[in-house]
Amino acid sequence: MISINSTLESLLFVCGDEGVSVQEAARVLEIESEEAKDRLDSLARQYRDRDAGIQIRKFGDVYQFTTIKEAAPYITAMLHPPERKTLSQAALETLAIVAYRQPITRIAIEEVRGVKSDRPIQTLVGKGLIQEMGRSEGVGRPILYGTTTQFLDAFELSSLEELPPLPEHAKTESSNEADLFFKEVGVDEITET
Amino acid sequence: MNTYNVKIDAFEGPLDLLLHLIQQAEVDIYDIPVAEITEQYVHYIHAMQELELDIASEYLVMAATLLELKSKMLLPDPQVEIEDEEEFYYEEDPRQELIERLEEYKQFKEAAAVLSEREKSRAVLFTKPPTADESFEPSSENETVPDIGEVTVYDMLQAFERARHRVDVKRPITARVQKEEVTIEERMGEVKHVLKERKTPLSFLSWVEHEERTSQVLTFLAILELMKTRAVYCEQSNNFEDILIYTNEEGVSHDFH
Repeated sequence: MISINSTLESLLFVCGDEGVSVQEAARVLEIESEEAKDRLDSLARQYRDRDAGIQIRKFGDVYQFTTIKEAAPYITAMLHPPERKTLSQAALETLAIVAYRQPITRIAIEEVRGVKSDRPIQTLVGKGLIQEMGRSEGVGRPILYGTTTQFLDAFELSSLEELPPLPEHAKTESSNEADLFFKEVGVDEITET
Repeated sequence: MNTYNVKIDAFEGPLDLLLHLIQQAEVDIYDIPVAEITEQYVHYIHAMQELELDIASEYLVMAATLLELKSKMLLPDPQVEIEDEEEFYYEEDPRQELIERLEEYKQFKEAAAVLSEREKSRAVLFTKPPTADESFEPSSENETVPDIGEVTVYDMLQAFERARHRVDVKRPITARVQKEEVTIEERMGEVKHVLKERKTPLSFLSWVEHEERTSQVLTFLAILELMKTRAVYCEQSNNFEDILIYTNEEGVSHDFH
């Protein structure tokens, strides 16, 4: 009888770039999600530990077989794959804003960028990197955008928490003062009531 | 204008341009020399106009904002004298709002650079399409139609994007198609050769049927040329009918006179 881990390995192979999600694995193998996740994690560790030429990457709750980055130059030499198109600067900026501020409206994105951003938003939606997450309660109920699982895959993130923190800039004095000011007001109100 | 090395396309918007100017002037983002930066900014806008580029209205709005800021910085605030010192202390720097916007934009610009790096490092990892894609064609009988409520337009877009990606992957590795260069003279030779090989007249339509349009035209011109030199003669029973080409070698009399 084959082990669950071996079965998972086969599943990862046939699913290719679409990967296997924890839920799918649990359903197919008739085990608890918890166990499926542990097993997938341990399988991924095994691949790492034995310097395999294939690795198991995780994004969101999806696990996927990919080649290792060290093999890239040789794969390229062998296959001459077409160069992958990278995102434009406009699309990258828009994506960064969505990733850190989600859910966010188009107007809010444009306020940060200082330029119209409908084109980059369309590009990103088309590529499946961002999607509609519902509607804002504001006037006109504008669409709110957020990132997708595919975004995690395309940017080597296992989860949104893995996004590197936004580069910090020294807070300006006046904004600190404003904070203090509001805090004081808050305290006063509490004492009055 | 020639002194300005303008790279308009390189800017993502007025904030990006401003950041560039501030960086170039080697000044601190929190202490922008408004007059100097405004002047340079306006110069850029003029350069853009000179090059007859479409200037997005956002650039002009920013120019107006900067000019307003510049005038505010130059003029003493008339209220200052009346108000007591403490309130003067809290007087906001007129640049504050702009600084905050620049600060925020700069953060995301840097975050975008980080994402770009990650995108590149992901691009060197290769995957394969799922095996199931082709081996299991669902038979029409037990094909299930998914409940429309479960499928969103984003699922569709993602599926489309995946399909397109597969097409990219399956595309032959390199393919360079070059236009075949044939001269009328060469084609004339070919026509003559073919006619010599066969005893029966040659049907024009059946010969050019599978050729490209340019090649068809070329063949037609070659035949006209051959007719002119009386190497061949043609017969066509009616308008738009097939043209039969006969070689003239057997000394068939010329009916053209």
